[in-house]
Formats: sequence, C-alpha cells, structure tokens
Amino acid sequence: MTPLERAEAKFGWKLVTPTILILGLLILYPLMYNVYLSFFDVQLNGYKTFVGFENYIKLLTNTDYYSAIGTTSLYLLGTVVGTTLLGLAMALLLKDPFKGRGLVNAAIMLPYVAPVISVVFGWQFLFDPISGVVNYLFVDALGIWSERTNLIGNPDSALWVVVLFDIWKHAPIAYLLILSKLVSVSRDQYEAAAIDGYGPIGRFFHVTLPELYFVLATVVLLRLIWNLNRFEDVYLLAPNVQTLPIFTYYQAFTGVIDQGLAAATSVIQLAVLSVFIWFYIKKIMKW
Amino acid sequence: MLGKRTLTGRIGFALAILLLVSFSLLPFAQILSTSLKHQYDWGNPSLIPQTINLDAYKELLGLTEAKKVEMPAAIQKILNNPKLPQDKKDAISAKYMSNDNLFPFGKYMLNSVIFSVGAATFSLVFSVMGAYSISRLRFKGQVVIQRSVLFVYMVGGVLLMVPLYQMAMNIGLASSLWGSAFCLFLIYIVQTLPVGMYMLGNYFRGIPFALEEAAMMDGCSRKEAIIKVVLPLSLPMLATVFIYCFIIGWNEYLFASVFLKQYPEFHTLPLALQELFVSKNAIWDRIMAASMLTLAPIVICFLFASRFMKGGKTDGGVKG
Amino acid sequence: MAAITLKNIVKSYDKTQVVKGIDLAIEDGEFVVLVGPSGCGKSTTLRMIAGLEQPTSGDIIIGDRVVNDIEPQDRNIAMVFQNYALYPHKSVKENIVFALRRLKVDNEEIERRLSEISEMLQLEELLERKPADLSGGQRQRVAMGRAIIREADVFLFDEPLSNLDSKLRSHMRTEIGKIHNKFGRTSVYVTHDQVEAMTLADKVVVLHDGYIAQSGTPMEIYLNPTNIFVAQFIGSPSMNIIEGTLFNDYLDIDGYHLPRNQLSNVAYQAPITDSGLKVKVGIRPDFFNDKAFFSETEITFNFTGLTIDLIEPMGFDKEVLFNLAGSSVKARLDLRSDITLGAKIDLLVDLSRVLIFDHKTEQRL
Ligand SMILES: Nc1ncnc2c1ncn2[C@@H]1O[C@H](COP(=O)(O)OP(=O)(O)OP(=O)(O)O)[C@@H](O)[C@H]1O
Ligand SMILES: [Mg+2]
Repeated sequence: MTPLERAEAKFGWKLVTPTILILGLLILYPLMYNVYLSFFDVQLNGYKTFVGFENYIKLLTNTDYYSAIGTTSLYLLGTVVGTTLLGLAMALLLKDPFKGRGLVNAAIMLPYVAPVISVVFGWQFLFDPISGVVNYLFVDALGIWSERTNLIGNPDSALWVVVLFDIWKHAPIAYLLILSKLVSVSRDQYEAAAIDGYGPIGRFFHVTLPELYFVLATVVLLRLIWNLNRFEDVYLLAPNVQTLPIFTYYQAFTGVIDQGLAAATSVIQLAVLSVFIWFYIKKIMKW
Repeated sequence: MLGKRTLTGRIGFALAILLLVSFSLLPFAQILSTSLKHQYDWGNPSLIPQTINLDAYKELLGLTEAKKVEMPAAIQKILNNPKLPQDKKDAISAKYMSNDNLFPFGKYMLNSVIFSVGAATFSLVFSVMGAYSISRLRFKGQVVIQRSVLFVYMVGGVLLMVPLYQMAMNIGLASSLWGSAFCLFLIYIVQTLPVGMYMLGNYFRGIPFALEEAAMMDGCSRKEAIIKVVLPLSLPMLATVFIYCFIIGWNEYLFASVFLKQYPEFHTLPLALQELFVSKNAIWDRIMAASMLTLAPIVICFLFASRFMKGGKTDGGVKG
Repeated sequence: MAAITLKNIVKSYDKTQVVKGIDLAIEDGEFVVLVGPSGCGKSTTLRMIAGLEQPTSGDIIIGDRVVNDIEPQDRNIAMVFQNYALYPHKSVKENIVFALRRLKVDNEEIERRLSEISEMLQLEELLERKPADLSGGQRQRVAMGRAIIREADVFLFDEPLSNLDSKLRSHMRTEIGKIHNKFGRTSVYVTHDQVEAMTLADKVVVLHDGYIAQSGTPMEIYLNPTNIFVAQFIGSPSMNIIEGTLFNDYLDIDGYHLPRNQLSNVAYQAPITDSGLKVKVGIRPDFFNDKAFFSETEITFNFTGLTIDLIEPMGFDKEVLFNLAGSSVKARLDLRSDITLGAKIDLLVDLSRVLIFDHKTEQRL
C-alpha cells in the first residue's frame, strides 16, 4: 500500500467509526447480550439469576408460544400474499401514464407514510360495532350478517383485520418495487408477443410475469423479514392478536414479567430472521 | 395493454382507480370526518358531518378558555366537611380540577419534534459520513461493514427491546427521566442510521466520481470535495433522507412506551395518543382530532419530499 | 515550470498488470500525446501523473519532486476530463473560477483572468448558465477554461474531444494547439485519434498493452516506425504488410525483385542463406503512385502489371486495391491518375520508404 492509499483507508475508517460504534453498541452488542439474558431469570429492575436452559424449556412447553407461532404464520401468509398481489395489481393498473397519475400515486402512498398510531384509530372506528361503517354496511345495508359484531374484539376475526390493515399499509412498497421493474420491461417484448398472437392475458403470463419473477421474490422476502418483526401495527390496532412480537412484549413488560423468557423468544426469532436476511443479502441485494 | 381504448376499458380503468384510491384514503377520511362530528352524529355512516364541530381541535390546540369544572355535589359536600385536613382537601379538589387540560397536545408535539428532528439530524450527519466512506473510499473491510449495516437494518426493534432495556437498567439510565430520554434518543438514531446509510450510499454511487476528481484537480482535498461538490449535489437526497428519518422517529411507538411510559411529561405523540385512547378521557372526536394533528406534519413532509425528489441534478455535468 | 519523468512505472489491479513498466521523460513545455488502442493503459498512466491512481511501483517526478506520496490537489496540475466533469450545481462562471476562489485569489485578478479566458474560448454569453443547459461543444470549452485559468504547471487531457462531432473536434483541436502555443505549459494528452496525435504533439508516445511501443516526433513515428504495431497504428489508411523474402542482393515480393542496396533497411548485416529470409514488408499506401507523379531524382521501384480489384474515389485522391503476395494491398493515388477497374497498371514506390520487419518479432530489421 502506498502512503496515499493508506491515507484514503484511514480517512475511510475515520468516517465510518461513529456508525460502527453506534450500530455495534446498540444493535450487535444487544443481540449478543440478548442471548446471554436468555439463560437468566431477569427482573424488570435488572436483577438476574442464572437458570440455564430453563427459559427455553418453559417456552417450548408453553402452548401460548405455539399458538403465537400459529398466529404469526397466518399473519405472514395473509400479509405476504395480500401485499404482493395488491402491489402487483396496483403496478399493472398504474403502469401507463394518465392524467392525474401523480395525485393517485400520492394518495396510495399515504397509508405507508402515515403514523400507525393515527391511522389505527381510523380503522378502529371503521370496525366499531356501534358506529362503524363496516357493521353498517354488512348488517344494515347489505344484510349479510345478522347482527353487529365486534370484529376487533374477537382475536380470531381481529387477526384478519390486522392482516387487512397491513396489506393496506404496505402494498405501496410492493407497488413501488414492482412498478420500477415493470416500466423497465421493454415495449419490444410486448410487441413481439402481440405479433406472435398473444392477447393481453397471454402477454401477461408470457412476458410480464417472467420478467417480474425476481422482483416478486424480493417483495415476498422483504415482507417476510419486516412482518416477522412487526409490532406496532398489530399491537396498536388489536392488542389481542398475539403474534410473536406481541407475545414477547407481554412477557417482557406486562403482567407477570419474565424478561428472560422474552429474551429466549427473541433469540429463536432472530435465528429465523437471520435465515431470511442471509438469503436476501446473498441472493437479491446488490449494494 | 389494458385495452384502455375501448369505452368499457376506460370505464373499468376509472372504476379500478376510484376503488383503489377510496381504499387507500377511506381511513383518513374517517378520521377527518369523525374529528369534525358531534357525538350524536357518530353512528351516521355518512362521512360528511351534519354540522361541523371544531371543539376537539380547539381544545387540543388550547384555543378554548379553561373551563370551570363543575364539581359534583357529593364531592363539594366532602370538601365542606371541616374535619378533613386541608391537604387532603387540596388533593381531592386537584384531582377533579386537573381535568381542564386533558391532553396537552402542544407539549407532546414538542416532545415528538425534539426527538424525531434531533435524531434525524444526528442520523443524517453520521449516515453521510458512513455512506460516503463505504461507497466511495477504498479500504479493507468495506464489504463486511456494508453487509453488517444491511443486516442491522433489517433487525427489528422487537428483538432489541429486552436487551436494550436491560442495558439501560444496568448502567442506571432507565431509572431516571433524562437517562430514559437519552436512551430513546440514541435508539432513534440507531433505528434510522442504517436506512440513511443505505439510501445515501446508493445515491453517492450514482454521482460520477469524475466530479470529485475534478475537484481534487482544482485543488480540493477529499474533505473539501465532499463538502463543496458531493453534498451540494446531494441536497434533494439529503432532504429526503432527513424526512424519512424524521418520519420513522415521529411514528415510533414501541421504544417510547418501553422507556417513557412512566414519564408523562416526556410522552411523544404516539405514546400520548395510545395513553389517551385507553384512558377515561377517550372520546372519539378528541382522539380523531389528535390523530389528525399527528398525521398532518407527516403528510406535509411526504408531499414535500416527493416533489423535492424529482430532478436528480447530476445529469448535464457529465457526458455530452 | 515542470518537466515530468516516469521511472519504470507499473500499475496492477489485483493481480493483473495494466501498465507494465513505462519510462518516459517529458520536457518542460513539451506537448506529449499518448496514443494507443482502447485498454492499453493510456488513461491509467495519465491518472497516475495526476495522482488519481497510485503506481504499484516506480517513481513519478514532476519538476524536481517525486510526487508519489503527494495528494493530487497538491501537485499543481490541471486536467480536462473526457466527460468534462463540470459541477452540475454551479454556473459556468463558478465552474471556471472554482479553483481560484479556493486559492483566495483576489477578485480583480479572478475577473481579469475570467474575461481573458472567456473571450478566448467564446464563453462570454454562457457564464451564468448551468452545465445542463450547454451543448457538448460548449461544455467542452468550459472544461478547457476551468483547466487553463489555474495556470497550473501541467495540463492533462483525457480524450477531451472524443464526445464531439468531427467538425467541432477539428475546430477544438486547433484551439488546443493555439492555447498550448500561447501558454507553453507541459501537457500530456491522451487520445486514440491519430490525427490529434500527429497535429498537436511535440512527441508522440504509442502505448501497446501497457508498454511503450515507440516514442518520438510525429514524423519519426510516421516514417520510421520501429515495429509493425506502431507502423499499422499510425497512419490512415494503415500501412500494408506484405510477405516477402530477403536475399543478399534483393528483396523478393511475389516475384518482384527490389534491389537491396537501395532499401532503407540496409543495416541488417547477418549472413542470409541461399533460401533467403522470410520477412514482412511494410509499405504505406501513400508511397505508391503513378509514374507521372514522381520526379526523376527519386529512387523508385516499378511494380509492373498489377491488376486493380477495386477503386474508391475519396475526393482529393483515390484508393485502389490490388493483390500482392497473397495480400490485398491498398495504394493512395492522385485523383488525376487514369485508372480503370480490371486494367493492368504499373505503380511506382519510393524505395527508401519500404520497411522490412522481422517475420516473428515484427520489429524493424
Ligand atoms: N479500477 C480498475 N480496476 C481493474 N481494472 C482496471 C481499472 N481501471 C482500468 N482497468 C483496466 O486497465 C486497462 C487499461 O485501462 P485504461 O483506462 O488505462 O485504458 P485506456 O488506454 O485509457 O483505454 P480507452 O482508450 O478505452 O480509454 C484496461 O484493461 C482496464 O480494463
Ligand atoms: Mg481512457
């Protein structure tokens, strides 16, 4: 290395040092510390006693944990499928320029940027058993349901409200990703397919879909990664839907506090998450 | 491609757009509508209030005169009881009188602004430095850092809440007001830094390196080239990153609830709103008005950012 | 004032060497042009002089300093980039005076130099515009202005004209020549356009695959290339290479016997066997002509009875193709030559311009 190259490297390290320190101290270290904590009985005030694998045993024999895994799986399935499909539909619909596309774009991006806490109340009101428009629609206007129901109050139906909420909020991301790929598909391909006698549907399956394969995989993977960690959107809308993050939060901060158990839950979850992330960085990310 | 040329095609297209936009905007419309309705109007499925009611906004923004709270007769009787010590009396009357400022919206808003603007500022500075380093300078270990940042970017807050809380507890920060606030501040920086680095890293890579080389030929050091050429060129992106980080901080609930729950003076808007919702003061119009006011800055920022982002300014300087 | 010396410069990226040991002395005020095919290491060499790349080994000396460890900004060098690299956020004026502002040159001096340069480059009308609002040629002139105003010791140019159309290119080429004559700074100019090389250079350096294939004045390079690579790279249309056999007394090309003692390469002294020595013979298309266009005094050789396969009128002259020793040979003839397709003609060649190269090494004998 020449002195100039060494100077450049030194400057490089100098610039990333704050980042490395902050991220190391507040993310990488806590992740490891979390593993450590998972072998202790941890009180809210920081008092710890070593318990070995007891947290894990407790966790793996806890039926609530399994039901949280089940809920999470349903949540992931619903949101991944829904978000991807809606995003795809939006992208196909808005692909070609038309008058007012800018406004429509802004409108559909809004759910994504809006604070969860605010929009959650709008949703709660929509599903409110007394005043909500959903009940009005299905009971009074259409007569599909025989009586007004508290959809959010019942954990089973609340799960699907939460899923719908997530689709509403995150389809815009999928839309953006898919759209950017879609507009880069060259017209020639469509024209060639049209000349080969394919109609719109044939063109979709033979041209569009193969081109989108990769970006759809990206969307699915990203949804899995983010939604596995999703806390606020679920907890604030329907605290009775216990996906894993909410399960962990309850263990750690409410009722009978057991932070060691929460740590153990997080450790397992991190392991699963790491697989997704590894896959993402390895296969998809070009940074 | 959708056969938009035929009439039915056009109508179908317009309907689909309408449906999509309604789906996206309905909850917002509901919030706005309910925030403006009188209580008797809530059950009315129409989004348009029968009469506009601005009381909730006035109350939140402190535009109403502090109402003299009527004390229930029973309480009045207790207070008139001469046997009761004066301090007990004060406590009771304070409890009933304190209702006059149910929801100090301005204070919460200020807290939110301080946390999210402050964190976004630090985050922006650090991410400019870090992103420049890993996207433009050549040194060993770059790739590892890049990957780690990406990894860290995707680790969600829920996985960190227990260890971070325990760490704060161990060094005694979590048990004091300012310590907790400081922790939260750091956490907001950490939550936004990887995003900022990621966005800026990609952006810097798109700025032709020849511009910096030209600056060096013009006698600038690397540092000067960054300050005088790279940063001015990145202004739209810097603004976008700042806004993005700001939005993340503004919207955050989880860590605010972990660290600040017991310190009401420092509540941020999301935390305060949630507390309001579960408290006895929860009235739909008040909640909705507060939601609306929490939402407004974000919507403005977003519209601003999406306009600002057009016109990436690097073309023209390079290539004929 | 600065001479530049490159001492055994090597540059490797990872394991691959792209510059493989360059020695070059550039005198103060000299205009040196680096030419060579794409990827031969021209830009890399230039960028090492600028300090934008570091040599893997070897020394770079500018003036009396070894600059290897000196940052680019401290080398007092100005450079014009291929894509101009104008600062998009600054006006033309701010682009040009950026370096001076940094040096805290006083305002009066800045204005003086600016007006001088903007007049010279016809930029007066454009000073307030942004680079995005300029045409390619205008951007190029701004880039030139930005480099000149510094009055740096050394000017570096990396294919500054390659993005212009041919008319503008030849105009700017002339301008660059004028500017060099005016300021007389040491200049290193990278191009793969040999016209630029021939017209601008005091010294041409032909790079080939990381080595210097030859360096010298444009005429030396043109008339006396030391190897087939240089011979064919310089000159357009490029030099004909024909199989031949060298005997003690003559050079045999397809049955024509060119007398050995009148060829330019008489230096070859080693004895030649009776079966002769296989060689490659180089003759530039320009050195063929009709009998009518040679003076009596020139020593020529007459290739008789050639059959013309193709005639391409080029305006001022015409190019004809014929077959010699199995290769298609091109000759550039005067427009007035009276030649028809398929006819048998005689062509004369100036014997002192016939070059003989080793068959294997392709070096001049
Ligand atoms: N940063 C780099 N990493 C690896 N190889 C490089 C790098 N820069 C240049 N090279 C290689 O070095 C060789 C010389 O490159 P250089 O840019 O000097 O060529 P050049 O003569 O300027 O060509 P051109 O006329 O096309 O500009 C090329 O083969 C190129 O691929
Ligand atoms: Mg080059």
